[in-house]
Amino acid sequence: MREIIKLAGILFAITAIAGVLLGLTNMATADKIEQQLIQENINARKAVLPQATEFKKVEDEELDSIVQKDFQMIEEIYEGINEGELIGYTFKTTPSGYGGQIVVNVGISLDGTVSGINIVSHTETPGLGAKATEESYQDQYKEKSIDSPLEVVKSTPSGENEIQAIAGATVTSNGVTDGVNIAIDLFNQYLK
Amino acid sequence: MTGILIILMSSILVNNFVMVKFLGICPFLGVSKQVETAIGMGLAVTFVMAVASAATYIVQELILIPLGIEYMQTIAFILVIAALVQFVEMVIQKTSPTLYQALGVYLPLITTNCAVLGVAILNIESGYNLLETIFNGVGGALGFTLAIVLFAGIRERLELSSVPKALKGFPIALITAGLMSIAFLGFQGLL
Amino acid sequence: MKFGKIMMNGIFKENPTFRLLIGMCPTLAVTTAAINGLGMGLSTAAVLIGSNAVIALLKDVIPSKIRIPAFVVVIASFVTILGMLLKAYVPALDKSLGLFIPLIVVNCIILARAESFASKNGVISSIADGLGMGLGFTLALTILASIRELLGAGSIFAISIMGSAYEPAIIMILPPGAFLTLGLLLGLINKLTEKTQ
Repeated sequence: MREIIKLAGILFAITAIAGVLLGLTNMATADKIEQQLIQENINARKAVLPQATEFKKVEDEELDSIVQKDFQMIEEIYEGINEGELIGYTFKTTPSGYGGQIVVNVGISLDGTVSGINIVSHTETPGLGAKATEESYQDQYKEKSIDSPLEVVKSTPSGENEIQAIAGATVTSNGVTDGVNIAIDLFNQYLK
Repeated sequence: MTGILIILMSSILVNNFVMVKFLGICPFLGVSKQVETAIGMGLAVTFVMAVASAATYIVQELILIPLGIEYMQTIAFILVIAALVQFVEMVIQKTSPTLYQALGVYLPLITTNCAVLGVAILNIESGYNLLETIFNGVGGALGFTLAIVLFAGIRERLELSSVPKALKGFPIALITAGLMSIAFLGFQGLL
Repeated sequence: MKFGKIMMNGIFKENPTFRLLIGMCPTLAVTTAAINGLGMGLSTAAVLIGSNAVIALLKDVIPSKIRIPAFVVVIASFVTILGMLLKAYVPALDKSLGLFIPLIVVNCIILARAESFASKNGVISSIADGLGMGLGFTLALTILASIRELLGAGSIFAISIMGSAYEPAIIMILPPGAFLTLGLLLGLINKLTEKTQ
C-alpha cells in the first residue's frame, strides 16, 4: 500500500511539474496565438472586401434569429467600414462540398456586386475540388451582380451570372456557389 | 437521428480511419497477418474507443474547461486512455477469462494506437455532444475493424502467392493497402 | 566520435521509417507536400531530442513500475509545448499538420527510443540518439513527400519542376499514393541493399 502511494506521489510530482511548465508556456504564447487568430480573420475578411479598412461584427438580435431560422449556413456577418462609412458586408458561410463542409467567406459591396470570396477551410479532394482555393477560380465571383443568384455551368460561361465549374469537381463548385448565393439572398432581403 | 447516421457512415466508410485518415496504421500493418487475430484486435479497439471517447469527453467538459486548462488536453487524454486500457484489461481478466484470452494480448498495444487519441481530439474539435462523440468513436473503430479484417483476408492469400523477393513482407502489404485505399476513395461523395 | 556514431546509426543503419518501420501514421498522412514532410520530421525530432534528454536525466528518479506513464507525461509535455509554439509562430504549418501534431505523443518512435535507449544511457548519448533518429525520420519523410509532390503536383517544395505541360497524377497526393509510394520505395531499398550485400 505504501509503495503504491509513493509511486502515485512520484507520478503526480512529474505531472505537476509538467503542468507548471505548460502553464508558463501557455502564458507566454497565449497572447501571440490569439493575435494570430485575430489577424487571420481580419485578413480573411479583408481579402473579400478589400476597400474596407475596419470590420465590425453585426450584432442584431432580430437579424440573428432570422439567420438561425432561415439562413443556417451563415455563421458570421461583419460590416465593412471605410472612413466611418458602411461600404459592404462580409459573410462566413458553411455550405457542403464533396468531402464535407467548406467554409467560404463572401464579401458583398453596397453597390450591389460580390466584392470577392475566399475559402477559409475545406476537405475537398486535392488536385480536384481543392482547386476552389485557387485565385483563378475565386476571381470569377468578383464583381458579379447580385440581382440574380449565381449559376454553375460546365462550359465557358455565356451569361452574366454564370460561374464555370472546376473540371471534375462540379459538386465542390456548386457548394461554394451555394454559400455565395445564400449570402446574396440574405443581403437582398434584409441588409440592402 | 439522421445526424448520428451521417456520423456513422462518415466514420466507417467515407472517412475511414485507416484508409483515408491514416489513424491506427501501426496495428493495421502489424496485426493483420491472420483474419482471426485481426477480428480480435478490431473488437478490442472498438471497445476501448467507445469508452475512451466518452471518458475523454467527460474529462474535457468537467475538468479541463471549468479549470481553464485546455492546454493540458494531450497529457490528460493520453493518461486517461492509458489508465482506461489498464482498467479494462483488469476487469476483463477478472470477469471473463475467455474474453481475456481472446483480447488480452492486444490491449496493451492499444494505448499507443493513435486512432484512440485521434478520435478523442477529433470529437472535441468537431464540437460533438456526448452521444455524437460515442457514435463517432464506435464508427471510427468499426471502420478500423472493417479495414483490418479485409486486409488480413487479402494478406492470408498473399502468403501463398509468389511475390518478388524485394517486395516480400512489408512492401507488398503497403501496396495492397494502397489498392484497398483506392477502393475506399469510391465512398467519397457518398454524403 | 561516439556522438557522431550514435547519430549516424539513427539516420542510416536503424532509420526509423525505412529500417525499423515504425511511426507509420504521420509518415503516410502528412507527406502530401515536401514542406509538410520536412515540418513533421523536424517537429518530431524536436520532441524526440527533448524527451530523450529529460528521460535520460530522470532515469534514476523514476521507479521502473511507473516508467511508461512517466515517460508518456514527459513526451506529452514536449508535444504540447511544441504545439503552442507552432500555433504562435508558424500557424500555416500548424494548420497543414493539424491533428498529427498532438498525435506525435503516440508516435511509437518516441516511446520506443525512451524505453530502449534513453532509459539506459547518459544524457549526451541520448541527445545524439534523438538527433539521429529525428533526422533519419525527417530525411525519410522529406524524400517520401518530395516524390509524392513531384508526381502528384509536378513540384517539389512548391517549386514547379515538371513544367506546365505535365498532367499531375493526383492519386499520388491522395491517400492511396502514400501507401503505394512507401511500398515501392521499401521494395527499392530492399533490392539495392540485397545487391550490395
